[in-house]
Amino acid sequence: MRRRSFLKMSLGGAIGAVALRPNSAAAWQSRAPADSYAALVDLTRCIGCRKCEQACQQEHDLPLPMKSFEDLTVLDNQRRPDAARFTVINRYHSGRVNPEGQLVADYVKVQCMHCQDPACASACITGALSKTAHGAVHYDVNKCIGCRYCMVACPFEIPAYEYHDPLTPRVMKCTFCEQRLREKQLPPACATICPTEAITFGKRSALLKLARRRLKEHPGRYIQQIYGENEVGGTSWLYLSAVPFSKLGFIPLPNKPLPKLTETLQHSLFSYLWSPALLFTLLSGLFFFNRRKQLQQPENSAGHAGGDV
Amino acid sequence: MSGHPHSHSHSHPPVALRRPLWTPGVLVMLAFMAAAAVTLVVRFTGGIGAVSNLSNARPWGLWVAIDVATGVALAAGGFTTAALAHIWGRHRYETVVRPALLTAMLGYSFVVLGLLVDIGRSWAIWKPIFFQNHHSVLFEVAMCVLVYLHVLYIEFVPVVDEGLRDARPGHPLQKLVAAINRRLRPILWIFIVAGVVLSCMHQSSLGSLMLIAPTKVHPLWYTPLLPLLFLLSAIAAGFPMVIVEATLASSSLGTDDEMEVLTPLSRFTIVLLGLYLALKVGDLLWRGSWTSLLDGTTQSNAFLAEMGLGVVLPFLMLLRAKVRRSRRTLFIAALLIVGGVVLNRINVFIVAFTPPLSTTPYSPALGEILITCGFVAALMFCYRLAVTWLPVLAEKKEKTP
Amino acid sequence: MRKTSQAFQRCVFVALLLAVALLDPQPEPVRAAGAGAPTDWLAPGQQQALERARQTVPLIEAIRREGPLRRREHLHDLGLTVKAVKTTYFYLNSPLISAVEDHYTGVRFNHGQHAAQAGDCSVCHHLRPEQDVAYSPHPETVRCSACHQQAFDERVPERPGLKAAYHQRCIGCHKQQRSGPQVCTDCHLKQVPDHAKLVKLPEHPDALQVTAECLRCHEAQAHDMLQTAHWLWRGPSPYTQDRSREVLHGKGTTALNNY
Repeated sequence: MRRRSFLKMSLGGAIGAVALRPNSAAAWQSRAPADSYAALVDLTRCIGCRKCEQACQQEHDLPLPMKSFEDLTVLDNQRRPDAARFTVINRYHSGRVNPEGQLVADYVKVQCMHCQDPACASACITGALSKTAHGAVHYDVNKCIGCRYCMVACPFEIPAYEYHDPLTPRVMKCTFCEQRLREKQLPPACATICPTEAITFGKRSALLKLARRRLKEHPGRYIQQIYGENEVGGTSWLYLSAVPFSKLGFIPLPNKPLPKLTETLQHSLFSYLWSPALLFTLLSGLFFFNRRKQLQQPENSAGHAGGDV
Repeated sequence: MSGHPHSHSHSHPPVALRRPLWTPGVLVMLAFMAAAAVTLVVRFTGGIGAVSNLSNARPWGLWVAIDVATGVALAAGGFTTAALAHIWGRHRYETVVRPALLTAMLGYSFVVLGLLVDIGRSWAIWKPIFFQNHHSVLFEVAMCVLVYLHVLYIEFVPVVDEGLRDARPGHPLQKLVAAINRRLRPILWIFIVAGVVLSCMHQSSLGSLMLIAPTKVHPLWYTPLLPLLFLLSAIAAGFPMVIVEATLASSSLGTDDEMEVLTPLSRFTIVLLGLYLALKVGDLLWRGSWTSLLDGTTQSNAFLAEMGLGVVLPFLMLLRAKVRRSRRTLFIAALLIVGGVVLNRINVFIVAFTPPLSTTPYSPALGEILITCGFVAALMFCYRLAVTWLPVLAEKKEKTP
Repeated sequence: MRKTSQAFQRCVFVALLLAVALLDPQPEPVRAAGAGAPTDWLAPGQQQALERARQTVPLIEAIRREGPLRRREHLHDLGLTVKAVKTTYFYLNSPLISAVEDHYTGVRFNHGQHAAQAGDCSVCHHLRPEQDVAYSPHPETVRCSACHQQAFDERVPERPGLKAAYHQRCIGCHKQQRSGPQVCTDCHLKQVPDHAKLVKLPEHPDALQVTAECLRCHEAQAHDMLQTAHWLWRGPSPYTQDRSREVLHGKGTTALNNY
């Protein structure tokens, strides 16, 4: 009987689908590049001169700001990177005082952190955002559809959007001067211009070693934390600070890479489409089972929908 | 309309209603649509920024929460009734399948239209088909919506065929559709089953969307169970949506009130809604996030409203047989559930979204509201057109003494 | 009327700009290739300073580590005090620094004065090379650029580049001492971009065209100028014939040609 054999087939298919269910999907693997470039920002060295902002503007040919880069009054407000500036310096008064009892300012550079396992790249519907071997989270405008899920996903609230472009808006964020490194073999513009080398550029492993060395050699100068070493699974931009990061506009973040949960969920459910296939098989089986029943006793078909009321 | 021959007896088969179209209600819809059209012109000349309050900190707003997320959730009536009537074989519910299918088809069509407005590069909407990121939840949602939209169109072919056969017999188009329908009939079950599978996939994945932003979504809503909660709430809202829709249609168009179907339908809702409620409460307790229930913030109040008015109240109402039997109270209960799902999607995508670094607040701009209202009006208008020309709803039954 | 007065204002502004540009004291003759500046005269030691600034020396990789106290004593024992300072004047403008970007001119650094005030060479000469180096008369106090060269050198990642070495040392001390230069332009002059490339004018421009071209970039400065006493000055004009009783002449009122 055709229907019966179909039922059997569907049952067999279901068992097969369960058996084929990929177990490897449960073990999520980080896709962080082996030893990529990174940058170490030593906030104790930053003097708030805004040269990095200027270098960034020139490197990326961004629009000039209303107030010149020499105008330090902009530091009176907390700013965020946006579509016209990929990096900003903010000033914080954490309560630290110098020997004369005057407040000492701390300056914080803000830009894309270039996560090791970037949430934006995992979220991106077309893969327009990707983590390159070089370390940058690269944006390919040719793949972008403008859904802005990357902006939703980013824990650092970095990607900005050209909201006033009607047809070809772009996601705008720090590029880690990837092209500059590739074509001119130069570190990022903000790093080379920094007068005090508050930004050190190099391989991530070397910078972590360097950062740990600074923490060890100057225990009084720094708090014993490298922000970005473990946050969201690690970032390519690392920070050292004299005061707790929570006082400088850094948020506490889990050490687990953000894509881990969604990707584990997605892959364990949908690898090789095993669960849709299983559901399809079961529902088809049910469909034909009920149809056969109905064909056998057509009169009763309406009678078992649960009692009225 | 499924692979079934029309063997089961339709006591009152669906017919094209052929009512006068230009009623005051329709004119109001047209006014909303015109306002939205003007806003759309601004959107596509001045950019998203010209009509919306979206910002770098709040990249998703009303359009994603209502046009997309709520649109998909409320179209769940399509697959839940199809599953019930065709797959589970409860054929007495056939009468509500067609309107639910029509709503789903229109709902998903407008989800896509809403996306076209919301994404910055509308012309690039095809790109995910070729540039695929298999890690992306959104990619899976997009593919499911894309396929399901076409499945819905295919599922609707028999209705169009039937309508054309009545309206334009012998017309070349009618012959073409009839031929397609004939070919389709033996394999239509594939599409019905696939529709249910696809729905389960993306209804849940819509909930997974926000799981990538644990630091930005308020703990009252952020839970690894979000996909399950989204799936369950969509299924639970499916039948209430059918009830709301059928009651509205029968009131405004004078069609059959279908109470002998709607009342038993609501009994499924008790189970589904109860399950959802239990899961939601269990989740709150398990994660310990119930501690922020009464802290008086916008988020906690929104959560209480969502759960209290949208889940607990209608659940308690539906428990009473009297409520289920009365057309009015059943409608109110169903409306509360539908409202609860709307509120839930708004909450998850807008209210709960609290980025800790930027303090830019978000409330929808007039432009966003106009476009959303215009789309809802356009959807209703299309529904009205469809039921006028195609056999979707059933005429009032002869009153039996 | 308004238009002409505006035109005049602009003319005057251009004239003032020109005057300021011509009067601008040239910091060092290398920059002074422009008109009018003397080219045949050099300050004593200038030529040598410039040559030293251009020089780069091989990188010293291995250094000897001593504690700061040890180091100070060691230098003292060797008799390396302020009296040992041979060169007073340095012009800090190494190509190591200006290779990638060059927003500022070099810095005139009075080595003698700093040595005298610090009284302790180990403040700046904080480490010494492991081996003697041929190019240095005294390996204990090699120049900064012997060790500090390119930034981000993978061979010596912990060592700042020359630019950062200078800035960290200078800014660190001057912040502590609360004296001397505090902002960028206290030490450097801004490297003015070559205006020959920026200015775009027809063959024989008239005054208004020139003014307009200046204002293309310097609009803000023009507005600032109009707020200053140079522009708003008014007062008595006792030497104007027949006007000796009128006291309200000036650039802000009736004076037309006020170059």
